[in-house]
Amino acid sequence: MNPSSASHIRPVPRRFRWRLNATSVITVTTVSVLVLLALLAIFADWLAPYNPLQQNLIKALQGPSAQHWLGTDDLGRDVLSRLIYGCRIAIIAAAEATAIAIILGVPLGLFIGYKGGWWDWVVMRMVEAIVSIPGIMVAIVIIALLGPGLHRAMIALGILFSTSFLRLARGVVLAEREEVYVRSARVVGAPDSRILLRHILPNIAPPLIVQVTLTVGAVLLAEAGLSFIGLGVQPPNASWGTMLNTAAAYMDLNWFLAIPPGLAIIVTVLSVNLLGDVIRDSIGRGIAVGPRSETATASTDTDVPAAGAAANPLPPREDEVLRVEGLRVVVGEGAGVPVITDLSFGISRGETMGLVGESGSGKTMTGLAILGLMSAGLRTTQGSIVLNGKDLRTLSRRQIEQVRGNEVAMVFQDPTTSLNPAFTVGSQIAEVLRTRQGLSQKQAWARVVELIDRVGIPRPEERARAYPHELSGGMAQRIAIARALSCNPSLLIADEPTTALDVTVQQEILDLFRDLQDEFGMAILFVTHDLAVAADICDRISVMYAGEMVETAEVGALFASPRHPYTRGLLSAMPHASDRNPPLPTIRGNVPRPGSWPTGCRFSNRCDFRIAACEARVPLTGTDRLVRCIRADELQLERAS
Amino acid sequence: MTDRPLLEINDLWVTYWGRSLLGLSGRPFHAVKGANLSIRPGETLGLVGESGSGKSSIANTVLGLVPAAGGSMRFGDEDLAGMGTRYPSNVRKQIQAVFQDPYSSLNPSMTVEEIVTEPLRVHTTMGRSERRQRAVELLELVSLSREHLERHPHQFSGGQRQRIAIASALALQPRLIVLDEPVSALDVSTQNQIINLLYERRDALGIAYLLIAHDLALVHHISDRIAVMYLGHIVEEGPSDRVYRRPAHPYTKALLDAVPLLDPQAQRARRAARKAAPAIDAPRVSTTGCPYQNRCPHVMPRCQTEMPPAYAVDGGGTASCFLHADRPAVLPASGTGKAA
Repeated sequence: MNPSSASHIRPVPRRFRWRLNATSVITVTTVSVLVLLALLAIFADWLAPYNPLQQNLIKALQGPSAQHWLGTDDLGRDVLSRLIYGCRIAIIAAAEATAIAIILGVPLGLFIGYKGGWWDWVVMRMVEAIVSIPGIMVAIVIIALLGPGLHRAMIALGILFSTSFLRLARGVVLAEREEVYVRSARVVGAPDSRILLRHILPNIAPPLIVQVTLTVGAVLLAEAGLSFIGLGVQPPNASWGTMLNTAAAYMDLNWFLAIPPGLAIIVTVLSVNLLGDVIRDSIGRGIAVGPRSETATASTDTDVPAAGAAANPLPPREDEVLRVEGLRVVVGEGAGVPVITDLSFGISRGETMGLVGESGSGKTMTGLAILGLMSAGLRTTQGSIVLNGKDLRTLSRRQIEQVRGNEVAMVFQDPTTSLNPAFTVGSQIAEVLRTRQGLSQKQAWARVVELIDRVGIPRPEERARAYPHELSGGMAQRIAIARALSCNPSLLIADEPTTALDVTVQQEILDLFRDLQDEFGMAILFVTHDLAVAADICDRISVMYAGEMVETAEVGALFASPRHPYTRGLLSAMPHASDRNPPLPTIRGNVPRPGSWPTGCRFSNRCDFRIAACEARVPLTGTDRLVRCIRADELQLERAS
Repeated sequence: MTDRPLLEINDLWVTYWGRSLLGLSGRPFHAVKGANLSIRPGETLGLVGESGSGKSSIANTVLGLVPAAGGSMRFGDEDLAGMGTRYPSNVRKQIQAVFQDPYSSLNPSMTVEEIVTEPLRVHTTMGRSERRQRAVELLELVSLSREHLERHPHQFSGGQRQRIAIASALALQPRLIVLDEPVSALDVSTQNQIINLLYERRDALGIAYLLIAHDLALVHHISDRIAVMYLGHIVEEGPSDRVYRRPAHPYTKALLDAVPLLDPQAQRARRAARKAAPAIDAPRVSTTGCPYQNRCPHVMPRCQTEMPPAYAVDGGGTASCFLHADRPAVLPASGTGKAA
């Protein structure tokens, strides 16, 4: 590892800056267009050069001139003035129809979504009836009943658009209703109205706001359309729709008449829709909490490995299947925020190595990094991952895909979501066999039954035809294991494979892992947060904390004499470790998030044995067992005495 | 045991109706089949079981989120079972809850102050400044402080969120708090912080807890008594230490043995012993007799036809198992009567 490359901070790439600017340019432009529109509407009486209704038949159908910037219409009225007064109509129309749509749709949608049952059924059937008729037809029918005119047309549009608000509100409430915070509110005793308005409504605001902007755009278009066919604003009043109507009639004599109202409609609707996009994006950003990039620079500086650490790599073990050396994973642009640093370990054939740690320790990330399956934004920047002699970091995407499934396979935490619900479990395993090993349909199926039998499922032929939801959690995990084993991988990565299961089932699955390893001899990387599970299944355990390995030892040695204060803290915090009433032993504070790791020893802010020297980075030291603590030897003595 | 129970549950049934394709009501599923439980004031009852055992259904029924299908549930002088899901304010105030997942149990759009004082707004006429005063007191009770009032839940870690949830549950000074897997979503190093906090608050404020969890070892630390559920039945009940150290029901024993030990040597020995035992291959659910008969190493012919009543056990409590048939039966077999 080269310290200078790690501490060198690259400037933010050009592309990123440009994107930032593009977003703000769009925001500024759309907001200014809409503000301009509002100003024109409010101050139309002062801004318009002429009375929009004043006719001058002598000057009819003129093109743009110094007197009439946008020309005149068929009755010699000033087009610019009519356009400005049209803004007023557009804003009134949009506000009116959208308000009616919200007032009708949102409360009703909230109500039926929350109540469900009979109410929901009746209202939804009515909504379906309305939306099954073309919208303009519904509007025409309503106008036929109410009579033409702007306000009546807008009532019609409001009713029409209320269905989309109703369906949106109902859909979101149906999802939110099941949230635990709603259950908490019911336990507190909040009445239904309060739960809906105070608890649920704020959380469904983001999609509603976006819907508002979309509706405003649609209303503007619909108003223009209705006025165009003579059902909206009535002549002689000016609206963009009636102006288009006029323009259409005199297309041959003055084609320019269509341009101003047409452009006005396009620019306004486009602005409103773009604003909706911007609002949606900014709302999403407020809730997501990732590692903060401001702190990235600080932690990059401290990430230089302590002297001697890099010079003292662990000697390769016998018959190694996997060797990870000096791995570093970061998230974000530029230098990024480190998530895993200076990680080195190896696993031999037939060995199970445990990667133990709490959330944020980087243990799951390590498994995904080996498979090249990290989510967007994460990347490995240093180190090597050598599997059967090949460095996976240097392989192309295609080559990695070949390795995945053939040489390395993975079993995930939740078996019910890692299997595809749309296919039978047998066909999911057969697919792997056919694509990877080129077996025929028949051969693959025979092997599937054999594998399902091997993972201890009774009546394998029958179970191979089951869908994932027809199996219990333990059974589904056995299927996931069978699928992982189907290509006889040399490395199996198991990420919390028993965490979602009941303890009695967990015990069976752990036994299965042991038996399969005895038979197939693959290496297993077992990722877990549960030290007791690791004690049961692993030969060797590495404890991870805040993105780095803090201790590695043979399983017996680790549990007999933990050397890192964090390992010791974890062990004594296990529920069945202590035999007494509270207060139970704890580790104070919380696991720090990536980006806010302490400088020096990352455990130092929670450690009871901290000294001044812990401020500096601590190397991983030792020969047969490794520990990242400068006081490890001394603390060992304290325990013995 | 002279003091009256705070919560007394007798022959409780909880039934869900499945929905068939046409929206008509389908077949009933009995999640709880005749459960008997009681909690005295200030006492903690641990309710343990695996997924599908019915433990959360009991919690939801006590909280009035799900109606009881049969049996009785008395809280002080109030008949909860008769109220369905509409508890009056004076009952609601006294029964609060802390749920499992601190990431979804706090409303993301509310501030900590709003979350903690929500019960006060619903049930009291306190003014804004008075509520804020109380919010600060409550946060201090859970080792948070005034500076956290204005923040939103996403700014906190899992353990801190659970502290906020506890502060909110304490706001009305309830007499019973239902804790539904309160620490199972937390990191090992923060789990014990929350357990210690719950323990301290209970002793200081005299609150009773109904603690729902899947981990017997964890429940044992904080409970006075433990009840073990299996497929809708309470199969064993008794003082915490007795159940944990001398389990009387074969299922309780299996549950304890399934938790891996921290000692690799001992664990290896246990695995070897397990391997030597004959494998059981039968469906988990049985229609008549004892619910555990298909997985029980001690199964007798009698277990297949008869549901065992709850027999008294040495050291306190009961076990619904014919292994203890030499002792007097204190409760009739659960699930024999049908839901009302």
